[in-house]
Amino acid sequence: MKPKEKFDFFHDERVRSVFYQALIAAAVGWFVWSLVSNTAQNLEARGMHTGFGFLNVAAGFDSSFKLISNEAGVGTYGRIFFIGALNTLYVSALAIILSTMLGFFIGVMRLSSNWLVSKVALAYVEIFRNTPLLIQIIFWYIGVFSLLPRVKSSIDLSGGAEVLLLNNRGLYMPWPIPGDLLWLTGVAASIAVIAVVAFRRWAKNRQDKTGQTYPTFIVSAALLILLPGVVYFMTGMPLDWDIPKLEGFNFVGGASLPPSFMALLFALTIYHASYTAEMVRAGILSVNKGQHEAAKSLGLSNNRSMSLVIIPQAMPAIIPPMISNCMTTIKNSSLAIAIGYPDLVSLFMQTSLNQAGYAIELVCMTMAFYMVVSLIISWLMNIYNKRVQLVER
Amino acid sequence: MAIVKAVKTSALPAPLSETSVVGWMKKNLFNSVFNSLLTFVTLYIIFMVVKAVWVWGIADAVWVADNRRECFSINPDGACWAGIFAWVDNIFYGRYPREELWRINLGIFSLFIWLLPLWLPRVKAKISIGLTAVFLYPFLAGYLFAGGDKGIFMQIMFTAAIVCLAANTIHSIIGVLIGRSLPEFLPFLLGQKNVNEKNRRNIFLGVLALGFILVYVWQMNWNLEGVSWTKWGGLFLTFVVAGIGIASALPGGIILALGRRSEMPIARALSISIIELFRSVPLITVLFMATTMFPLFMPEGFVLNKLTQVIIAVCLFSACYMAETVRGGLQTIPRGQFEGGHTIGLGYWQTMGLIIMPQALKNMIPNIVGNFISLLKDTTLVSIIGLFDVLNMLRAIGKDRTWLGLHIEPLVFGAMMFFLICFAMSKYSRHLEVKLSTGHKH
Repeated sequence: MKPKEKFDFFHDERVRSVFYQALIAAAVGWFVWSLVSNTAQNLEARGMHTGFGFLNVAAGFDSSFKLISNEAGVGTYGRIFFIGALNTLYVSALAIILSTMLGFFIGVMRLSSNWLVSKVALAYVEIFRNTPLLIQIIFWYIGVFSLLPRVKSSIDLSGGAEVLLLNNRGLYMPWPIPGDLLWLTGVAASIAVIAVVAFRRWAKNRQDKTGQTYPTFIVSAALLILLPGVVYFMTGMPLDWDIPKLEGFNFVGGASLPPSFMALLFALTIYHASYTAEMVRAGILSVNKGQHEAAKSLGLSNNRSMSLVIIPQAMPAIIPPMISNCMTTIKNSSLAIAIGYPDLVSLFMQTSLNQAGYAIELVCMTMAFYMVVSLIISWLMNIYNKRVQLVER
Repeated sequence: MAIVKAVKTSALPAPLSETSVVGWMKKNLFNSVFNSLLTFVTLYIIFMVVKAVWVWGIADAVWVADNRRECFSINPDGACWAGIFAWVDNIFYGRYPREELWRINLGIFSLFIWLLPLWLPRVKAKISIGLTAVFLYPFLAGYLFAGGDKGIFMQIMFTAAIVCLAANTIHSIIGVLIGRSLPEFLPFLLGQKNVNEKNRRNIFLGVLALGFILVYVWQMNWNLEGVSWTKWGGLFLTFVVAGIGIASALPGGIILALGRRSEMPIARALSISIIELFRSVPLITVLFMATTMFPLFMPEGFVLNKLTQVIIAVCLFSACYMAETVRGGLQTIPRGQFEGGHTIGLGYWQTMGLIIMPQALKNMIPNIVGNFISLLKDTTLVSIIGLFDVLNMLRAIGKDRTWLGLHIEPLVFGAMMFFLICFAMSKYSRHLEVKLSTGHKH
């Protein structure tokens, strides 16, 4: 006799699942509804306005550091949002590039066969990973970049040429002014790049077929330097430099970076380099030791076995954590608010919020910016992961 | 003709290059020309850095002075640690009333007493001790720190916490001395030898109830002086915020992680959106959201103070980060473990609680502690929105009239303090990982 399948209403998995979900949906629905109704009531009681119309209203203040021009009382809040977003991305991008370079360097030091060098790298990593970033940022700002000499006695970083100057108002540097025929140099540079790509492809094909190698590095370097260089000199060096000049109490001309920017850049670079270093180390160690030995037994030199065998295999392990480290760098750049660098949070969530109100809109827009950036980054990461997986057998 | 030795030749000592200091140095520091050069350059750099730090921080430093001017007149090149000493109470306790400091110290001491048995090998029932610490200690500490008029709820919880702490302590002492648990020992104390499980439990509960009544009557007669949260500050406040964040991160993270892996679409969608929302924005924006938007969310007449807003924000933030760590741990558990659990008749919660979670969390100990460390470091952000945490206290030293301009020393002191705590935590997590590993990992 077959056992009869009995439908037990209270102990059926599907019934329970529907019941729990209905419960969750009801709780969330009630929560959201009460938030919305409370907010509406509060907004009305306080006479606050809502809506995104304020973005077209002129803001009564200006950012102390900006990449696009703006004027207090003319530029709108929408423009302030863009200035802040650009400032955030600018400092984060520089910090990501520099911290990746420094991190690779420290990571390689960590794997050095020299005991002392690897211990120094370990000390670096432990010290900077175990202290709060905010303290480091404030330390660089108050303890280093604010204590620099005054404008009159600036430190000359270019060794007497007086073009790269550092003082307590920031870093002053020359800025290029393109001449009429500079576009020809640009065209030459692009032609050189295309030629290098074509040449490399040809050389690789040739190596695959015949086994003969070409000195690709020297040829491409020569192409990249010589072709634009020759055109540049032939057109009569159409590039001027705007050099900072001391006029009165301050420098005029050139480009400058404020101390808060420098402090933030230094702190972010040093802090995140310690994380990058550990990722690089873990990635290289994750490659099987046999791979190293096989490369050596093939007769590859240390450098070639590193660049042809080890690094390509370590990359899939290094890149994903590194990309999330980039995201953390962008998020951590919001600590700029503590030292007055006008990033998105400081300009939009603090100054604009104090000036204009519109708390909900401002907070949501700022958060949305970071969410969009993080979505783009995780999208890039997924593309990369797919590519790496395809390579695998 | 063969030469046969009747006696075994004794082994030669290991070559000098393996055992002596010089041999070690030759192998690890001077194994090539380039490495030797590198060693000397590194030694020189280390020497310069250590010398500079030594001269500034110790040799030329001023340890005793009344104000910054005096520091300067004694030695302008060294650090002025005298300012730190003068402010040490402020750094640790903020502006908490000085005559009430014993309450903070007692709170910290009772936490220490509560958690100490977890490290004693002979004590039994460690899980109950840990759970009571998580659920009852906050009431004891909360009342000690805040004081004021106890409501009826607070009276009950405060009493329960004290009874529980006393029971835990006696239990641990008995455990260390004779290796028994308190419920086993109580009947013995009453002169009854052969008591069954049920009676033993009843006696234990009876004693607890008696203790509860006694403590309740005792605590009815007095109240501690109320200390407003605006007076909380310093490292104490940092620990309160970070401690609540840490304590709620794990339960919150587990719930969110289970929701994300659940087969119910609504629960999954909800968990994913909460986790991704809070993980993709910086903590400072969450804190600003808490201070600017929470007041709008509340029903009229209901006001949350700033500290509560910040703590809610930190809890949400840390739970979302923990959720991803827990999910990573859950992914390391093979399917067979779930199926094995179901096969022996365990339901969802029993499988999770008894089989999956212990393994998943154990695999993730370094990451979980890493999360705790970053939470502790991130707690310094509350200074930006105006709470007087340790960082704000440290920065206030340079604004004090007697120590005007003393900025670097407090920051260095704060950095060292955080370094010691975080470094010790990460080292301990490595130790715990080795101790708890069952050898399944390769």
